[in-house]
Amino acid sequence: MSGAGLAGASLLGLAGCGGESSQSSSSSGGMWKQYKGTTLNFISENTPPTAAIAANLKPFKDLTGIDVKVTQMELGALVEKVALDFGSGKGQYQIIYADPYQVLAPYYQGLAELNDFDDDDSLPSIPKGPGDFIPAQLDAAGKFVDNETLYALPYDAPTMIWMYRKDLFEKYGDQMKQDLGFDPMPSDSSTWDQYYQIAKWFNDNASEVKYGTGHQAKQYDSLMCDFSNILWAYGGDYFNNGNKVGRLGSDDPGPALLDQPKSLEGADFYNKLLGIAHPGSTSWDWSGVDEAFRAGNEIAMTPNWHEFAAGIETSKLGGKVGYAKLPKGPARTSDMYGGTGIGINNSASDDEQRAAWLFLVWATSPNSQRMELFSKAGGGTPTRQSVYHMPDVKKAEKRPSNAPNMLTADAVFKAWEPQNIGLRPKIKEWNKCDTIIFTEVSKMLAGDKSPEQAMKDAKEGFDRAIGSA
Amino acid sequence: MMRPSFGARMMLPALLLLAALSIFPFLFIVWMSFNDVSPIGGLSFDWVGLENWTNLFTDPDVRSSWGISAIYFVATVGLEMAIGIAVALLVHELIWGKNLAISLLLMPMFIAPVIVGLLGRFLVDPTYGLYAWVLNTTGLYTQNILGSKGPALVAVILMDVWEWTPLVTIIVLAGLASMPDEVLEAARVDGANYWQRLRLIVLPLISGIVIVALLIRSMDAIRYFDIIFITTNGGPADSTKIIPIRLYETAFRFFDLGYAAAIGLSMLAFSILVANLFLRMLARQGLAR
Repeated sequence: MSGAGLAGASLLGLAGCGGESSQSSSSSGGMWKQYKGTTLNFISENTPPTAAIAANLKPFKDLTGIDVKVTQMELGALVEKVALDFGSGKGQYQIIYADPYQVLAPYYQGLAELNDFDDDDSLPSIPKGPGDFIPAQLDAAGKFVDNETLYALPYDAPTMIWMYRKDLFEKYGDQMKQDLGFDPMPSDSSTWDQYYQIAKWFNDNASEVKYGTGHQAKQYDSLMCDFSNILWAYGGDYFNNGNKVGRLGSDDPGPALLDQPKSLEGADFYNKLLGIAHPGSTSWDWSGVDEAFRAGNEIAMTPNWHEFAAGIETSKLGGKVGYAKLPKGPARTSDMYGGTGIGINNSASDDEQRAAWLFLVWATSPNSQRMELFSKAGGGTPTRQSVYHMPDVKKAEKRPSNAPNMLTADAVFKAWEPQNIGLRPKIKEWNKCDTIIFTEVSKMLAGDKSPEQAMKDAKEGFDRAIGSA
Repeated sequence: MMRPSFGARMMLPALLLLAALSIFPFLFIVWMSFNDVSPIGGLSFDWVGLENWTNLFTDPDVRSSWGISAIYFVATVGLEMAIGIAVALLVHELIWGKNLAISLLLMPMFIAPVIVGLLGRFLVDPTYGLYAWVLNTTGLYTQNILGSKGPALVAVILMDVWEWTPLVTIIVLAGLASMPDEVLEAARVDGANYWQRLRLIVLPLISGIVIVALLIRSMDAIRYFDIIFITTNGGPADSTKIIPIRLYETAFRFFDLGYAAAIGLSMLAFSILVANLFLRMLARQGLAR
């Protein structure tokens, strides 16, 4: 391994990995420097991993001589800009935060196929290979329909889990157990029905918080995420073969199943649960419910994205919160996965695409992922299995932790198991379907429609949107 | 062949600029409205004839958005005109501190609508909002303001009224300042009280400028977007999804650009209709040619 190759391998976390190291990094020391002087634009949602990457770009500049300008924004604005960039064919943003549902599925033709770069001997290949990524995440964030073609590398992995006030559960645990007839402490056997009963108990009995549960039920993407966990747990689904449509995606998912009895059961329960939730829920997205939870006196528990743990642990609730996978329903446990990959704009010049590949390899490498996890500027969650075996990462799973997101490790590892991971449909028409479902559920929560009517209308909307009517 | 006149030749550069800036984009949007437009790999057009226009008149969601827009339009413009005129009349009567009062009154107008939306959202947030807390502790309203259908619409209407009433005030104040003193003086000498002077002299004198204020605010209200986008995003249950939010969603979330063009053109037609109505009112008063 030559000097630059060794430096590259070391920066990516490969030194000492023997045969697993990138073959190309040993073949040419100059491969990392071949696009020195290039400037790349990276458009990303304003997420913790990108905040960490943006604050720590110097190692990449030192390694490659490439400047990366990071533009961060809210996801909706990002989708708009990326679609317009694809439309213009100019390739203004060479590196793209490719949300699997709002960017990858509808615009996958705008993304370069990454297999060619990975196979190219003149470029570094994915350190430790694609197999080091968590398998379900590699499929969900990186592929569309075709199992062989890779469009993006898994970059972040927010996942919905059950966040609860451990201090209050400990304080009232015995009393709740006596009143409710079951152990309320969240566990693998906890059910959504028990969650409802616990929430109601807090409403009626605890003075420390106003309500037992709070939800991200604003008429927005967040409502679809919150609702889907329960829809799936009750055995309902958006389409047939929901797992495949979620994991690899589909060009033709067939008619929607939202009017089926199990979907209606899920909708009915969600309506009932929101009926006893904090009234603020209907105007909160994920940030709103996080703020309410962190306020300390509003809600005792909430389903929310696990990466909010970093903020919770540094707030006045630090050390008082427990994390568990979401409760199970009659059919299964389901924890909504919200991870994203990063891809390369197909409209960028060949050299820019190759330079962008260097960034993708670097940004998703084990060392960069570890850096993001411990970064003071960010606090993302690794998408690499090997990172979770690093000693300092394992140590961070226990308090006191210098990477508080790792306190959710037990919960998210269970959530990422193939039978538990909640994957919304990866279809080209998802932006429209997403809007249909969160609008119909919002109408249900507002009392405009019964669960049956809302699901029937959502099904008809889905079928119209995908042309299955 | 007849040569263009000197005036026409002088106007030609300006007309060309106008064509580039307005006429071409307008014709392009009209063309888009008859096509299915895809943004992938460069804009592609697929002729669909009147399909987008047929959808526009049969889509219940768009119809519902027009309904909410109508409520929103009448409420914001009505309240802004009523409050704006009342405040202008009060400020006009001030003997001292008038400039200070005007400066303070104008402040909301200088804040970007997005910031007004964020401020409004913060003030009515059920966790830490001051207004939410006041309403809750006094028992006047204990539910979630932005999460309930009626209150959410009222809240966004009031945010707009708070921001744009000062514009009406300042326009009406300009009208009041330009009133001939001798007419008012003569009315006073003839024994007319304040209400008689207001009804019979002041309001007729400022009616032209009031219509101008009405025209400006109406044009703004039709394309109102920022505050609702920031606070409710059209929810809950589509109760605040006015037509510009629907247009944005169709264009930049669904990228159904052909249909969005048709919706946008229907908004333009409505704006022209409203503007013509007010211009006719001005013309009737001899204030417009």
